[in-house]
Amino acid sequence: MKDPYEILGVTKAASPDEMRKAYLRLAKKLHPDLNPGNKRAEEQFKEVSGAYDLLSDPARRKRFDDGEIDASGTERQRERFYKDYASEPSADARYENSSGYSDFAEADDLFAELLRRQGREARRSKGADTHYHLSIDFLDSVNGATKRITLPDGGVLDVAIPSGIQQGQILRLRGKGVRSMGEGAAGDALVEISINPHAFFVRRGDDLHIELPITLTEAVLGAQIKAPTPAGPVILTIPKGSNTGSVLRLKGKGVPKRSGAGDEFITLKVMLPTEPNPELESFLSNWTPAKSDDPRRGMLS
Amino acid sequence: MNISKANFLEHLQLDHETLQIWIEEEWLIPIQTEAEFSFSELDVARAKLIRELKADLGVNDPGVGVILNLLDQMHGLRRALADVLRSHHARSANSPGAPAVEQEPDNT
Repeated sequence: MKDPYEILGVTKAASPDEMRKAYLRLAKKLHPDLNPGNKRAEEQFKEVSGAYDLLSDPARRKRFDDGEIDASGTERQRERFYKDYASEPSADARYENSSGYSDFAEADDLFAELLRRQGREARRSKGADTHYHLSIDFLDSVNGATKRITLPDGGVLDVAIPSGIQQGQILRLRGKGVRSMGEGAAGDALVEISINPHAFFVRRGDDLHIELPITLTEAVLGAQIKAPTPAGPVILTIPKGSNTGSVLRLKGKGVPKRSGAGDEFITLKVMLPTEPNPELESFLSNWTPAKSDDPRRGMLS
Repeated sequence: MNISKANFLEHLQLDHETLQIWIEEEWLIPIQTEAEFSFSELDVARAKLIRELKADLGVNDPGVGVILNLLDQMHGLRRALADVLRSHHARSANSPGAPAVEQEPDNT
């Protein structure tokens, strides 16, 4: 860690006024906006500003001199300098001034030719792409939908969500980005999709999985019940004697695809009555299951 | 994201008259929308630079104008040079143009 006195080039006995003069001399030389493109100057400027921040505060200077604090973390954290905005490729050129090289463009040499070509290319070049993020509901991701994004400038963008879209997929809407500055095509709008999870559907590949509760009666005797699918409820036949964990497959009720569709897998879950049921209790007290029917067979040796 | 004149003044702790002078001197050229001025991040950073030049570096008003003019020329030159180098590289590499499309919307 460098000594802040050394950074400013002053002695430990320097007065506040001497310190300010030393700081100004260095800042004039090193200010990043007066040295665009010079990384070294920017780093040095941050060191110098940090050192001056520390030593220009009499209380902190005293604590530093007494060894209570060190110079770590004093490097001034600065958001961004003007040069960082002015040098962005997308920066608007309101302030920029090309008079500094107009004489080159008049001359007939390689540089002038490159500049002229650059000018033509800039006029023809495509506008910038814009990026958006869109959260959609699970069922819209499976079935497809049209969603409207409101843009910062008040305009709207209609996004056609294809059925079966996946988490993180990016839709490119041609020509919906920034208009070209010249005669080129407009840029594209890139929309990244994120999908909100569903209360009971889970997607794996093109198949959907769901856990479906059934009553004890439906499990033992079998039944025709309604089961949810992304396209709406369908009638499902529960075979007699179905157990928790039994899996039924609804073919083609998964995620639609151009070539066929995935399946929906239904895992049954047998539910006892929510309220205590005296009739069931009295029935079971008088019922003796077969001796061989031990679900824990093989677990206890 | 652009901000209004009121927000700009508050953010920079600047008074109305000072801003008026900066605009008259063309140190700042905010975006004019209907009746109001609007300021971008570029304008905010430029205003901070002007303030630092005056307050921290002791530059007087004519000096600020000279520095900003030279800076604007320098940024123009830097961009022109970067563009020239890029087109020069693109020509020597004979690069194919637009990058690959990531995903196409399925409009069928």
